Amino acid sequence: MAAQNKNNKYQNLKEKWGRKHDKIKANLWEKHGDSLDWLMEKTKQFTVGGASLLLLASPKMSLPIPQLEIEAHAQKVDKKVFLISNLENILPKEMKPLTDDEEKKVSEILSRDFGVKAVPELLGKRLNRSYGLIGQEQHLARYRGDNISVHFDSSEDAVEFSSYGMAPGLGGWGYFQQKDEPLNRATEREKYYIAVPTFLAPGFKENPRKIIDFFKFRKMLVVNPQNGKAVVAVVGDAGPAQWTGKHLGGSPEVMNYLERYDGSQRGPVLYFFIDDPENKIPLGPIEVL
Amino acid sequence: MKHFYSHLIEIDSLIVEISNLEIEDHEKKHLINLAESSIYHAVLDSILSELKEEDKKIFLEHLASDNHEKIWKHLNQKIENIEEKIKSAAETLKKELRDDVNPAPFSHKVKGKR
Repeated sequence: MAAQNKNNKYQNLKEKWGRKHDKIKANLWEKHGDSLDWLMEKTKQFTVGGASLLLLASPKMSLPIPQLEIEAHAQKVDKKVFLISNLENILPKEMKPLTDDEEKKVSEILSRDFGVKAVPELLGKRLNRSYGLIGQEQHLARYRGDNISVHFDSSEDAVEFSSYGMAPGLGGWGYFQQKDEPLNRATEREKYYIAVPTFLAPGFKENPRKIIDFFKFRKMLVVNPQNGKAVVAVVGDAGPAQWTGKHLGGSPEVMNYLERYDGSQRGPVLYFFIDDPENKIPLGPIEVL
Repeated sequence: MKHFYSHLIEIDSLIVEISNLEIEDHEKKHLINLAESSIYHAVLDSILSELKEEDKKIFLEHLASDNHEKIWKHLNQKIENIEEKIKSAAETLKKELRDDVNPAPFSHKVKGKR
Protein backbone atom coordinates (compact mmCIF):
# COMPACT_ATOMS: atom_id res chain seq x y z
CA MET A 1 0.00 0.00 0.00
CA ALA A 2 2.77 2.42 1.01
CA ALA A 3 4.74 1.61 -2.14
CA GLN A 4 1.65 2.28 -4.24
CA ASN A 5 1.14 5.68 -2.58
CA LYS A 6 4.77 6.59 -3.28
CA ASN A 7 4.35 5.59 -6.88
CA ASN A 8 1.11 7.54 -7.20
CA LYS A 9 2.71 10.66 -5.78
CA TYR A 10 5.46 10.56 -8.38
CA GLN A 11 3.11 9.67 -11.23
CA ASN A 12 0.75 12.51 -10.32
CA LEU A 13 3.51 15.08 -10.11
CA LYS A 14 5.22 13.77 -13.23
CA GLU A 15 2.04 14.08 -15.27
CA LYS A 16 0.99 17.42 -13.85
CA TRP A 17 4.44 18.99 -14.13
CA GLY A 18 5.02 17.43 -17.52
CA ARG A 19 1.86 19.09 -18.83
CA LYS A 20 2.77 22.34 -17.16
CA HIS A 21 6.29 22.21 -18.58
CA ASP A 22 5.09 21.50 -22.10
CA LYS A 23 2.57 24.31 -21.88
CA ILE A 24 5.13 26.86 -20.70
CA LYS A 25 7.60 25.77 -23.36
CA ALA A 26 5.01 25.79 -26.13
CA ASN A 27 3.87 29.23 -25.03
CA LEU A 28 7.45 30.51 -25.21
CA TRP A 29 7.96 29.13 -28.70
CA GLU A 30 4.60 30.38 -29.88
CA LYS A 31 5.28 33.93 -28.73
CA HIS A 32 8.97 34.16 -29.55
CA GLY A 33 9.53 31.38 -32.08
CA ASP A 34 11.05 33.65 -34.72
CA SER A 35 13.80 34.86 -32.42
CA LEU A 36 14.43 31.40 -30.99
CA ASP A 37 14.59 29.85 -34.47
CA TRP A 38 17.04 32.56 -35.46
CA LEU A 39 19.22 31.69 -32.49
CA MET A 40 19.08 27.95 -33.12
CA GLU A 41 20.08 28.48 -36.73
CA LYS A 42 22.91 30.78 -35.73
CA THR A 43 24.31 28.53 -33.05
CA LYS A 44 24.37 25.48 -35.34
CA GLN A 45 27.56 26.88 -36.77
CA PHE A 46 29.28 27.25 -33.40
CA THR A 47 29.94 25.32 -30.27
CA VAL A 48 27.44 26.62 -27.79
CA GLY A 49 29.11 27.65 -24.57
CA GLY A 50 26.07 28.21 -22.41
CA ALA A 51 24.87 24.94 -20.95
CA SER A 52 21.56 26.55 -20.11
CA LEU A 53 20.82 26.91 -23.80
CA LEU A 54 20.50 23.14 -24.01
CA LEU A 55 17.23 23.49 -22.20
CA LEU A 56 15.87 25.50 -25.08
CA ALA A 57 16.64 23.02 -27.81
CA SER A 58 13.91 21.20 -29.70
CA PRO A 59 10.74 23.14 -29.04
CA LYS A 60 8.48 20.12 -29.29
CA MET A 61 10.57 17.85 -27.11
CA SER A 62 9.42 17.45 -23.54
CA LEU A 63 11.64 16.25 -20.79
CA PRO A 64 10.79 12.66 -19.88
CA ILE A 65 14.28 11.68 -21.03
CA PRO A 66 16.54 14.40 -19.67
CA GLN A 67 19.50 15.48 -21.76
CA LEU A 68 22.84 14.07 -20.66
CA GLU A 69 24.16 17.31 -19.35
CA ILE A 70 21.05 17.96 -17.32
CA GLU A 71 21.15 14.43 -15.98
CA ALA A 72 24.76 14.85 -14.85
CA HIS A 73 23.77 18.05 -13.14
CA ALA A 74 20.84 16.35 -11.47
CA GLN A 75 23.14 13.70 -10.02
CA LYS A 76 25.32 16.38 -8.51
CA VAL A 77 22.24 18.15 -7.21
CA ASP A 78 20.98 14.92 -5.79
CA LYS A 79 24.01 14.41 -3.59
CA LYS A 80 23.65 17.92 -2.31
CA VAL A 81 19.93 17.85 -1.66
CA PHE A 82 20.34 15.33 1.12
CA LEU A 83 22.97 17.56 2.72
CA ILE A 84 20.70 20.59 2.30
CA SER A 85 17.76 18.71 3.72
CA ASN A 86 19.72 17.34 6.69
CA LEU A 87 21.06 20.78 7.54
CA GLU A 88 17.66 22.41 7.17
CA ASN A 89 16.29 20.07 9.81
CA ILE A 90 18.91 21.23 12.30
CA LEU A 91 19.59 24.89 11.61
CA PRO A 92 17.44 27.47 13.39
CA LYS A 93 14.87 29.30 11.28
CA GLU A 94 16.17 32.68 12.39
CA MET A 95 19.79 33.80 12.21
CA LYS A 96 21.36 33.07 15.58
CA PRO A 97 24.38 31.17 16.92
CA LEU A 98 24.00 27.40 17.03
CA THR A 99 23.53 25.61 20.32
CA ASP A 100 26.13 23.03 21.39
CA ASP A 101 23.79 20.28 20.33
CA GLU A 102 23.16 21.83 16.91
CA GLU A 103 26.90 22.36 16.38
CA LYS A 104 27.55 18.74 17.26
CA LYS A 105 24.98 17.48 14.76
CA VAL A 106 26.19 19.83 12.01
CA SER A 107 29.78 18.78 12.69
CA GLU A 108 28.83 15.13 12.23
CA ILE A 109 26.99 15.82 8.97
CA LEU A 110 29.74 17.96 7.45
CA SER A 111 32.47 15.52 8.49
CA ARG A 112 30.56 12.60 7.01
CA ASP A 113 29.48 14.30 3.79
CA PHE A 114 32.76 16.02 2.94
CA GLY A 115 35.16 13.40 4.33
CA VAL A 116 37.05 15.87 6.53
CA LYS A 117 36.99 16.35 10.29
CA ALA A 118 34.95 19.55 10.60
CA VAL A 119 34.62 20.81 14.17
CA PRO A 120 33.37 23.97 15.89
CA GLU A 121 36.23 23.90 18.38
CA LEU A 122 39.84 22.94 17.79
CA LEU A 123 42.65 22.73 20.33
CA GLY A 124 40.43 24.48 22.86
CA LYS A 125 39.82 27.46 20.56
CA ARG A 126 36.62 28.52 18.86
CA LEU A 127 34.99 31.55 17.29
CA ASN A 128 32.06 33.47 18.72
CA ARG A 129 29.79 31.51 16.35
CA SER A 130 29.89 28.90 13.61
CA TYR A 131 26.81 29.94 11.63
CA GLY A 132 26.46 33.47 10.34
CA LEU A 133 25.94 35.96 7.54
CA ILE A 134 28.84 36.28 5.14
CA GLY A 135 29.78 39.53 3.43
CA GLN A 136 31.97 40.39 0.47
CA GLU A 137 35.68 41.14 0.99
CA GLN A 138 38.23 42.50 -1.46
CA HIS A 139 41.45 40.97 -2.70
CA LEU A 140 44.41 41.22 -0.34
CA ALA A 141 48.08 41.75 -1.15
CA ARG A 142 50.15 38.58 -1.25
CA TYR A 143 53.49 40.41 -1.19
CA ARG A 144 54.82 43.93 -1.26
CA GLY A 145 53.99 45.40 -4.66
CA ASP A 146 51.09 43.05 -5.41
CA ASN A 147 48.36 44.97 -7.23
CA ILE A 148 45.27 44.28 -9.32
CA SER A 149 47.17 44.23 -12.63
CA VAL A 150 49.47 41.37 -11.56
CA HIS A 151 47.19 39.66 -9.05
CA PHE A 152 45.60 36.98 -11.24
CA ASP A 153 46.92 33.74 -12.71
CA SER A 154 44.77 33.92 -15.82
CA SER A 155 43.00 36.48 -17.93
CA GLU A 156 39.70 34.70 -17.19
CA ASP A 157 40.20 35.22 -13.46
CA ALA A 158 41.19 38.83 -14.07
CA VAL A 159 37.99 39.46 -16.03
CA GLU A 160 35.83 37.74 -13.43
CA PHE A 161 37.38 39.00 -10.22
CA SER A 162 39.34 42.23 -10.79
CA SER A 163 36.27 44.43 -10.30
CA TYR A 164 36.32 43.70 -6.56
CA GLY A 165 39.60 45.61 -6.25
CA MET A 166 42.39 45.35 -3.71
CA ALA A 167 41.84 46.28 -0.08
CA PRO A 168 43.89 49.35 0.83
CA GLY A 169 45.36 47.63 3.89
CA LEU A 170 46.95 44.25 4.46
CA GLY A 171 45.31 41.12 5.80
CA GLY A 172 45.25 40.51 9.52
CA TRP A 173 48.60 38.71 9.32
CA GLY A 174 50.33 40.97 6.82
CA TYR A 175 51.27 39.72 3.39
CA PHE A 176 50.07 36.23 2.53
CA GLN A 177 53.45 35.10 1.24
CA GLN A 178 55.60 33.94 4.11
CA LYS A 179 59.39 34.04 4.20
CA ASP A 180 61.04 31.46 1.86
CA GLU A 181 57.65 30.25 0.70
CA PRO A 182 56.70 29.67 -2.97
CA LEU A 183 54.22 32.20 -4.31
CA ASN A 184 51.65 29.61 -5.41
CA ARG A 185 50.96 28.67 -1.79
CA ALA A 186 50.27 32.30 -0.89
CA THR A 187 48.16 32.67 -4.03
CA GLU A 188 45.96 29.74 -3.04
CA ARG A 189 45.51 31.10 0.47
CA GLU A 190 44.60 34.57 -0.73
CA LYS A 191 42.22 33.18 -3.32
CA TYR A 192 40.33 31.16 -0.72
CA TYR A 193 40.41 33.27 2.39
CA ILE A 194 37.79 34.31 4.88
CA ALA A 195 37.79 37.08 7.45
CA VAL A 196 36.55 36.12 10.91
CA PRO A 197 36.23 38.22 14.07
CA THR A 198 39.16 36.77 15.98
CA PHE A 199 38.72 39.63 18.45
CA LEU A 200 35.38 38.13 19.51
CA ALA A 201 36.80 34.65 20.08
CA PRO A 202 36.53 33.42 23.68
CA GLY A 203 39.86 34.03 25.46
CA PHE A 204 40.93 36.92 23.23
CA LYS A 205 40.86 39.51 25.99
CA GLU A 206 42.89 37.31 28.31
CA ASN A 207 45.52 36.32 25.80
CA PRO A 208 45.17 38.02 22.41
CA ARG A 209 48.54 36.83 21.07
CA LYS A 210 47.64 33.19 21.63
CA ILE A 211 44.34 33.62 19.79
CA ILE A 212 45.86 35.60 16.92
CA ASP A 213 48.59 33.01 16.41
CA PHE A 214 46.08 30.19 16.46
CA PHE A 215 43.89 31.73 13.78
CA LYS A 216 46.66 32.67 11.35
CA PHE A 217 45.80 30.88 8.06
CA ARG A 218 43.72 28.38 10.04
CA LYS A 219 41.89 26.04 7.68
CA MET A 220 38.09 26.10 7.77
CA LEU A 221 35.23 24.48 5.90
CA VAL A 222 32.71 27.09 4.71
CA VAL A 223 29.35 25.74 3.56
CA ASN A 224 26.34 27.42 2.01
CA PRO A 225 23.58 25.37 3.67
CA GLN A 226 21.03 26.45 1.07
CA ASN A 227 22.81 25.00 -1.96
CA GLY A 228 25.30 22.53 -0.43
CA LYS A 229 28.30 24.26 -2.00
CA ALA A 230 31.43 24.28 0.14
CA VAL A 231 34.95 25.65 0.11
CA VAL A 232 38.05 24.85 2.13
CA ALA A 233 39.42 28.27 3.04
CA VAL A 234 41.93 29.81 5.42
CA VAL A 235 41.45 32.60 7.93
CA GLY A 236 43.31 35.43 6.19
CA ASP A 237 41.94 38.51 7.86
CA ALA A 238 40.25 39.68 11.05
CA GLY A 239 36.77 41.18 10.79
CA PRO A 240 34.19 42.30 10.00
CA ALA A 241 33.23 44.83 12.67
CA GLN A 242 30.11 43.97 14.63
CA TRP A 243 28.21 47.07 13.50
CA THR A 244 28.21 45.83 9.88
CA GLY A 245 25.71 43.11 10.78
CA LYS A 246 27.92 40.56 9.02
CA HIS A 247 29.50 37.73 10.95
CA LEU A 248 32.35 36.92 8.58
CA GLY A 249 33.67 37.87 5.16
CA GLY A 250 34.68 35.92 2.08
CA SER A 251 37.17 36.60 -0.70
CA PRO A 252 35.68 37.27 -4.14
CA GLU A 253 36.50 33.70 -5.19
CA VAL A 254 34.92 32.18 -2.07
CA MET A 255 31.76 34.25 -2.48
CA ASN A 256 31.50 33.43 -6.16
CA TYR A 257 31.79 29.69 -5.64
CA LEU A 258 29.35 29.61 -2.74
CA GLU A 259 26.94 31.84 -4.70
CA ARG A 260 26.71 34.23 -1.80
CA TYR A 261 26.19 37.96 -2.29
CA ASP A 262 26.52 41.03 -0.16
CA GLY A 263 23.92 43.69 0.56
CA SER A 264 20.24 42.84 0.66
CA GLN A 265 20.88 39.36 -0.76
CA ARG A 266 23.28 38.47 2.03
CA GLY A 267 22.94 34.90 3.24
CA PRO A 268 24.21 32.48 5.86
CA VAL A 269 27.08 30.01 5.85
CA LEU A 270 28.40 27.42 8.25
CA TYR A 271 32.10 27.72 9.13
CA PHE A 272 33.82 24.94 10.98
CA PHE A 273 37.51 24.27 11.66
CA ILE A 274 39.11 21.48 9.68
CA ASP A 275 41.34 19.29 11.79
CA ASP A 276 44.15 18.71 9.31
CA PRO A 277 47.41 18.50 11.27
CA GLU A 278 49.36 17.19 8.29
CA ASN A 279 47.98 19.85 5.97
CA LYS A 280 46.76 17.33 3.43
CA ILE A 281 43.42 18.85 2.49
CA PRO A 282 43.74 21.25 -0.46
CA LEU A 283 42.18 24.69 -0.45
CA GLY A 284 39.32 25.50 -2.79
CA PRO A 285 35.93 24.00 -3.65
CA ILE A 286 35.11 20.64 -2.07
CA GLU A 287 32.32 18.33 -3.20
CA VAL A 288 29.99 16.09 -1.22
CA LEU A 289 31.39 12.55 -1.28
CA MET B 1 23.58 24.70 -13.34
CA LYS B 2 24.13 28.36 -12.59
CA HIS B 3 21.78 30.50 -14.65
CA PHE B 4 22.12 34.21 -15.14
CA TYR B 5 19.13 34.68 -12.81
CA SER B 6 20.27 32.25 -10.09
CA HIS B 7 21.01 35.07 -7.65
CA LEU B 8 17.39 36.28 -7.93
CA ILE B 9 15.52 33.02 -7.73
CA GLU B 10 15.99 30.62 -4.90
CA ILE B 11 14.89 27.12 -5.87
CA ASP B 12 16.78 25.20 -3.21
CA SER B 13 13.74 25.16 -0.93
CA LEU B 14 11.70 23.55 -3.70
CA ILE B 15 14.49 21.03 -4.32
CA VAL B 16 14.53 20.21 -0.62
CA GLU B 17 10.79 19.62 -0.63
CA ILE B 18 11.13 17.31 -3.62
CA SER B 19 14.00 15.49 -1.93
CA ASN B 20 11.83 14.96 1.14
CA LEU B 21 9.20 13.09 -0.88
CA GLU B 22 9.16 9.36 -0.31
CA ILE B 23 9.88 8.45 -3.90
CA GLU B 24 12.84 6.91 -5.72
CA ASP B 25 16.01 8.94 -6.31
CA HIS B 26 15.68 8.89 -10.11
CA GLU B 27 12.11 10.12 -9.73
CA LYS B 28 13.29 13.03 -7.60
CA LYS B 29 15.87 13.89 -10.26
CA HIS B 30 13.23 13.88 -12.94
CA LEU B 31 10.94 16.20 -10.96
CA ILE B 32 13.85 18.56 -10.23
CA ASN B 33 14.65 18.65 -13.96
CA LEU B 34 11.05 19.47 -14.82
CA ALA B 35 10.87 22.22 -12.20
CA GLU B 36 14.18 23.80 -13.25
CA SER B 37 13.32 23.68 -16.91
CA SER B 38 9.84 25.11 -16.35
CA ILE B 39 11.24 28.02 -14.35
CA TYR B 40 13.90 28.59 -17.00
CA HIS B 41 11.30 28.85 -19.78
CA ALA B 42 9.01 31.05 -17.69
CA VAL B 43 11.89 33.43 -16.98
CA LEU B 44 12.81 33.59 -20.66
CA ASP B 45 9.21 34.32 -21.57
CA SER B 46 9.01 37.13 -19.02
CA ILE B 47 12.15 38.70 -20.54
CA LEU B 48 11.43 38.20 -24.23
CA SER B 49 7.91 39.57 -23.80
CA GLU B 50 9.44 42.88 -22.76
CA LEU B 51 11.94 43.19 -25.61
CA LYS B 52 11.72 44.38 -29.21
CA GLU B 53 12.79 41.96 -31.96
CA GLU B 54 16.32 43.31 -32.33
CA ASP B 55 16.84 43.42 -28.58
CA LYS B 56 15.59 39.85 -28.28
CA LYS B 57 18.36 38.72 -30.61
CA ILE B 58 21.02 40.59 -28.66
CA PHE B 59 19.75 39.02 -25.44
CA LEU B 60 19.68 35.52 -26.95
CA GLU B 61 23.22 35.92 -28.28
CA HIS B 62 24.45 36.81 -24.80
CA LEU B 63 22.45 33.89 -23.43
CA ALA B 64 24.08 31.54 -25.95
CA SER B 65 27.55 32.67 -24.92
CA ASP B 66 26.52 32.45 -21.24
CA ASN B 67 27.85 35.95 -20.67
CA HIS B 68 25.97 36.99 -17.55
CA GLU B 69 27.55 40.42 -17.36
CA LYS B 70 26.44 41.35 -20.88
CA ILE B 71 22.99 39.85 -20.33
CA TRP B 72 22.40 42.04 -17.30
CA LYS B 73 23.85 45.15 -18.90
CA HIS B 74 21.52 44.70 -21.86
CA LEU B 75 18.45 43.91 -19.77
CA ASN B 76 18.98 46.81 -17.40
CA GLN B 77 19.25 49.16 -20.36
CA LYS B 78 16.14 47.89 -22.10
CA ILE B 79 13.68 46.91 -19.39
CA GLU B 80 12.62 48.82 -16.35
CA ASN B 81 12.56 46.81 -13.11
CA ILE B 82 13.61 43.69 -14.96
CA GLU B 83 14.77 41.93 -11.80
CA GLU B 84 11.34 42.35 -10.22
CA LYS B 85 9.64 41.07 -13.36
CA ILE B 86 11.84 37.98 -13.45
CA LYS B 87 11.31 37.35 -9.74
CA SER B 88 7.57 37.75 -10.10
CA ALA B 89 7.32 35.29 -13.01
CA ALA B 90 9.45 32.71 -11.23
CA GLU B 91 7.80 33.11 -7.83
CA THR B 92 4.33 32.59 -9.28
CA LEU B 93 5.40 29.35 -10.90
CA LYS B 94 7.43 28.26 -7.91
CA LYS B 95 4.42 28.71 -5.67
CA GLU B 96 2.33 26.54 -7.98
CA LEU B 97 4.99 23.84 -7.95
CA ARG B 98 5.34 23.97 -4.17
CA ASP B 99 1.57 23.73 -3.77
CA ASP B 100 1.64 20.66 -6.00
CA VAL B 101 4.30 19.04 -3.82
CA ASN B 102 2.54 19.92 -0.58
CA PRO B 103 -1.18 20.32 -1.33
CA ALA B 104 -3.15 22.00 1.43
CA PRO B 105 -5.19 19.53 3.51
CA PHE B 106 -8.87 19.40 2.62
CA SER B 107 -9.87 20.87 5.99
CA HIS B 108 -8.01 24.08 5.10
CA LYS B 109 -10.10 24.55 2.00
CA VAL B 110 -13.39 24.47 3.87
CA LYS B 111 -12.18 26.50 6.82
CA GLY B 112 -14.43 29.44 7.53
CA LYS B 113 -17.41 28.04 5.65
CA ARG B 114 -19.08 26.54 8.65
